[in-house]
Amino acid sequence: MISRFTAELATAVGTATFGAVVLGGAVEYGIGWDSAGPEPGAFPFYIGAMIVVASGVNAARTVMQRPLAGRVFLDRARFSRIASFFGLAAAFVLLSVYLGLYVATVLYLSAAIWWQGRYRPWVGAVCGITASLFFYFVLEKGFQVPLLKGPIEAMLGIY
Amino acid sequence: MENIASLFYGFGVALSAYHIGLMLVGVLLGILVGVLPGLGAPNGVSLLLPLTFSMDPVAAIILLTSIYWGALFGGSTTSILFNIPGEPSSVATTFDGYPLAHKGKPTEALSYAFLSAGFGAMVGIILITLLSSSVAEFALRFSSPEFFAVYLLAFCSFVGLGGSSPFKTMVSIGFGFAFAAVGMDSVSGNLRLTYGIDELLAGISFLVAVIGLFGIGELMLTIEEGFELAGIRARISVKDVLSTAATMPRYWVALLRSAAIGCWMGITPGGPTAASFMSYALAKRFSRNRDKFGTGEPEGIISPETADHSAGTSAMLPMIALGVPGSATAAVMMGGLMIWGLNPGPMLFVERPDFVWGLIASMYLGNVVAVILVLTTVPLFAAILRIPFSIIGPIIVVTCFIGAYTVGNRAFDLWLALGFGAIGYVFKKLDYPIAPMVLAMVIGDKAEDAFRQSMIMSSGSMKIFWSNTLVASLMAGALLLAFWPLITAGVDRLLGSVGAARRGHT
Repeated sequence: MISRFTAELATAVGTATFGAVVLGGAVEYGIGWDSAGPEPGAFPFYIGAMIVVASGVNAARTVMQRPLAGRVFLDRARFSRIASFFGLAAAFVLLSVYLGLYVATVLYLSAAIWWQGRYRPWVGAVCGITASLFFYFVLEKGFQVPLLKGPIEAMLGIY
Repeated sequence: MENIASLFYGFGVALSAYHIGLMLVGVLLGILVGVLPGLGAPNGVSLLLPLTFSMDPVAAIILLTSIYWGALFGGSTTSILFNIPGEPSSVATTFDGYPLAHKGKPTEALSYAFLSAGFGAMVGIILITLLSSSVAEFALRFSSPEFFAVYLLAFCSFVGLGGSSPFKTMVSIGFGFAFAAVGMDSVSGNLRLTYGIDELLAGISFLVAVIGLFGIGELMLTIEEGFELAGIRARISVKDVLSTAATMPRYWVALLRSAAIGCWMGITPGGPTAASFMSYALAKRFSRNRDKFGTGEPEGIISPETADHSAGTSAMLPMIALGVPGSATAAVMMGGLMIWGLNPGPMLFVERPDFVWGLIASMYLGNVVAVILVLTTVPLFAAILRIPFSIIGPIIVVTCFIGAYTVGNRAFDLWLALGFGAIGYVFKKLDYPIAPMVLAMVIGDKAEDAFRQSMIMSSGSMKIFWSNTLVASLMAGALLLAFWPLITAGVDRLLGSVGAARRGHT
């Protein structure tokens, strides 16, 4: 279980870190003034500073606010639902990068509808193949927008 | 009068079989994304935008705005029939819409919603017709400091009036600007904030961000709730619609008040969501039937719906006339304009009157088409919602990622969309506003350019932002908005017991 307090604080630390990274990146390109006016890093520098300061205030407010104590951000049941959804989505992206979007779509829809939806395996497979064909004909053929393809399409001679 | 002539010229541009066809397709797609949880107007428009890259700008904007209108209407359908807002801006519609439908009057509830939404949209469009060219003409006097002040004003109004914690809003804005700065610096031509990662050289597309933040992020929220739908069956009979329409004039006060709130919140970047909540709250305070609110009171449907749609349409005014979008969806469309090679802002009226007036004319047509289509297709879309979410959800995931890929044909964007999904989920759960981030991503470069040009003009002196009445009053307005919560708190304290008594009363 994650409490709201922890989540608020962790997010504030996360956003502050992001701000620090922006600051670091900005300094690299100069934050001063050169012959052409402000250097490229100047504006990002102010932005990074704003993020760090505002994150600090958010963290401080979280620590000082009492009503947050005891409030739940995510309980176990919700956490497991989110984790399995996000994990499967991440697996879909990984598969897409190596096998292309069409094959990944078939695999992902089959798996998600079978495991998460508790349908019989063929329902997921039918949905996956239908969706893949739909995107192929609408995007690739209809709008001439090519999608990411992998080795299987190459084997079948589809470019 | 000049505007009326331009409007007729616009109708000449917009009225063609091809454009009307696009309108029908757009509205239907829009209703679909509005009805489906996890897909809303901003990412509906983002998903379709890559397909319009090769289209003529007038046709493209008609398609995208029609999706926007459709999505606004679709969001209300689910609010009323399923008690689940399809869009954040239709949350307030569930308060009275669902109870009325639940009492066995779904047709009435839907008709009230759609007709008042149509009314609100019309008020917004009339406002745009009357004001846009004079606003643009006025803005032709702007140079860099004034533009920077206008951008600042937009962001300050998020900070001061947004309703979330001002510091969370600032973090969100900062994220948007930082993402916008990644890649090529448009002034010096240098690359920056790439941290040695080759994929970042081309920058981070706001479309990918919107698809992640609004699509994947919203889906995660839906999944977390363990989504189950239990809808009310609705058949729309023409007679019921007409008899409901006949009672509409009775609510003219609510209609006008809500339209005014909506227009104001749309032009200032408060957005449709804030407008609908504010309108509902005010209706509840001033209505004679305030005790019946929450049990299916028509005024409780009419007020948020009118405000929602007038805000949605009038958000287009600052986008086309100033280049400052008034809502997340308007921000996405403005990004689209820039991709099509147009320059949103006052010069657009001079350079591309056909585009501007074609767009405005199409807004009239599009909303009429939307009201008719949404009324006739209610049973169809209600049936789509009965498909179990465990099938629809994964299909939406796939659609989002494919949409993210089509933005730039880069596999890296898939990872970005996933990352933005996680950010969107956490931010929404912790009440960090998302819309300011999208706005900052779209106008980040323009705001930075304006700032740097101003600094060059003044050789680095901040005094340039107070150098004439125009820019000084814009800056003063921005500061006033940013510190609005502090100012109102101070006024309340000064009034002392009077203020305390009033707060105790409400």
